[in-house]
Amino acid sequence: MKLQREVFIVGVGETVFGRRKEDYDALGREAAFKAIKDAKISRPDMIQSAYVGNAHNGIVTGQTIFKDLGMCGKTPIINVESACSAGAMAVHLAIKDVATGLTEISMGVGAENHTLRRQKGTAFTPAMNDIEAVHGGVMTGKYSMRATRYMYERGATIEDFAMITVKNRKHATHNPHALYRGEVSIEEVVNSRMIAYPMTLHQCCAISDGAGAVVVCSKEMVKKLGIEKPVKVAGSVVTSGPYHNGPRDITGDDITEMTTEMLYKESGVGPKEVNILELHDAFTIAELLYYECMQLCGKGEGLKFLRDGQSTYGGQCVVSPRGGMLAYGHPIGASGAAQIAANVKQLRGQCGGYQVEPIPKVAMSHVTGGGLSGTEHAACTMHMLVKGW
Amino acid sequence: MADDKKKKDKEPDMTFFHPDLLEAPKDGSAPYLKGYRCKKCGKLDFPKLSPCPLCWGEDFEMVPLSRKGKLYSFADIYIGQPGMNTPYIVGYIDLPEDIRIFAQLDGEVQTFKCDEDVELTTGPIRMNQDGLPIISYKFKKAN
Ligand SMILES: [Zn+2]
Repeated sequence: MKLQREVFIVGVGETVFGRRKEDYDALGREAAFKAIKDAKISRPDMIQSAYVGNAHNGIVTGQTIFKDLGMCGKTPIINVESACSAGAMAVHLAIKDVATGLTEISMGVGAENHTLRRQKGTAFTPAMNDIEAVHGGVMTGKYSMRATRYMYERGATIEDFAMITVKNRKHATHNPHALYRGEVSIEEVVNSRMIAYPMTLHQCCAISDGAGAVVVCSKEMVKKLGIEKPVKVAGSVVTSGPYHNGPRDITGDDITEMTTEMLYKESGVGPKEVNILELHDAFTIAELLYYECMQLCGKGEGLKFLRDGQSTYGGQCVVSPRGGMLAYGHPIGASGAAQIAANVKQLRGQCGGYQVEPIPKVAMSHVTGGGLSGTEHAACTMHMLVKGW
Repeated sequence: MADDKKKKDKEPDMTFFHPDLLEAPKDGSAPYLKGYRCKKCGKLDFPKLSPCPLCWGEDFEMVPLSRKGKLYSFADIYIGQPGMNTPYIVGYIDLPEDIRIFAQLDGEVQTFKCDEDVELTTGPIRMNQDGLPIISYKFKKAN
């Protein structure tokens, strides 16, 4: 999507992520209200369209969230589902409305509560009408097959994978929104419960609940609202996963490679210019292979990139500065919107205690979505944000 | 699923997955997977997609697929789907026809290797809603 006019993010909100007793609608409302206040919006009818990403919590989730904010009856509210990509897709649709001139102010929200509803001790599964799901396919298995092949071809070890958890939780040490923060050792990660070899418990994102929200508007409206630090949307791309039933390289990820390529082209930003990146680190192996898919380094150099510290403080690009999904957990409809909210706060320099220094100027985010046989992922959504003041 | 919530007044649940995908001859001869070749563009698919995603052709001929292939990658799964016994093993098997099959593997955990030869077999993949095993294609180490 080539943005037809400039779009800015003027308000963001996120909840604390973790095992929450509040249902998705209370979480979504909390994040949305924070974002609305952050954007200095004073009346519900100023928001001309709203999109809500959710995967598992039922029907009319958006209207349920926005009812108490007085938006029902005033704002068209559209609910968006594409598994883990839903929240970022909701933001994408809000951006699209402003970019095309349909609206001046729109918002996207992602919200999810898993713990009130899920069976414990089981793994996330694609829909049961999926041929791989019938045969026992689970997301952990899919990523473990990637990890196993990666070890076989590249000589990576389980300790290498564990470094990603250690790094991301370290980034989250002082982030009050994160579920898991601070010191964890490689040994603890490696010796945690085996989920699907070589992915151990602490290499898998936790089940958690939360919400993120993002308000976007036109350049004119930035002035009217009196926003001092608007973040410019340099690019916003949604793709669907190519279907193939033949052999393919799963140490890469075709949909992420394709979406990245489109995002760099659309935004005019190159891979070496990205200062911070939130990506779909649902499993350690995912982050490791995405370094290459997103061209942060060359093909075959991902392991070196990690081992050399290029993806942490002082490196080429701080990957998962909020702590990623490995620290937040992954409420699947919420994560995509929450990543964007966290990136905006980094660009504004508002992340006391976990602020990346020097304050980043370019932030990228990435969420894939959905297990669908014959695709690497059913969906992928990526955003490029730049300092806009 | 193993939790035996037997639904009364219902048709018995599936015990064989799936006649369009797998032939297990009653005479005891070797089972085979069924590929489908698009009569318009020649693309071979497993499982069958209709229409053909390449050319929208709607006519296909069934082609028995090779019984042996290479194990591209695999996973020993210790936390699985709700109701499934663990551990179980899944893998991607690449057939000479340039087709990749996702299947359960028959064998012990910690024994499989990438790129080893495997062959088709059949066996239970899970329990159905009546508590009976569902038989489908699986792969095992090749003899
Ligand atoms: Zn065809």
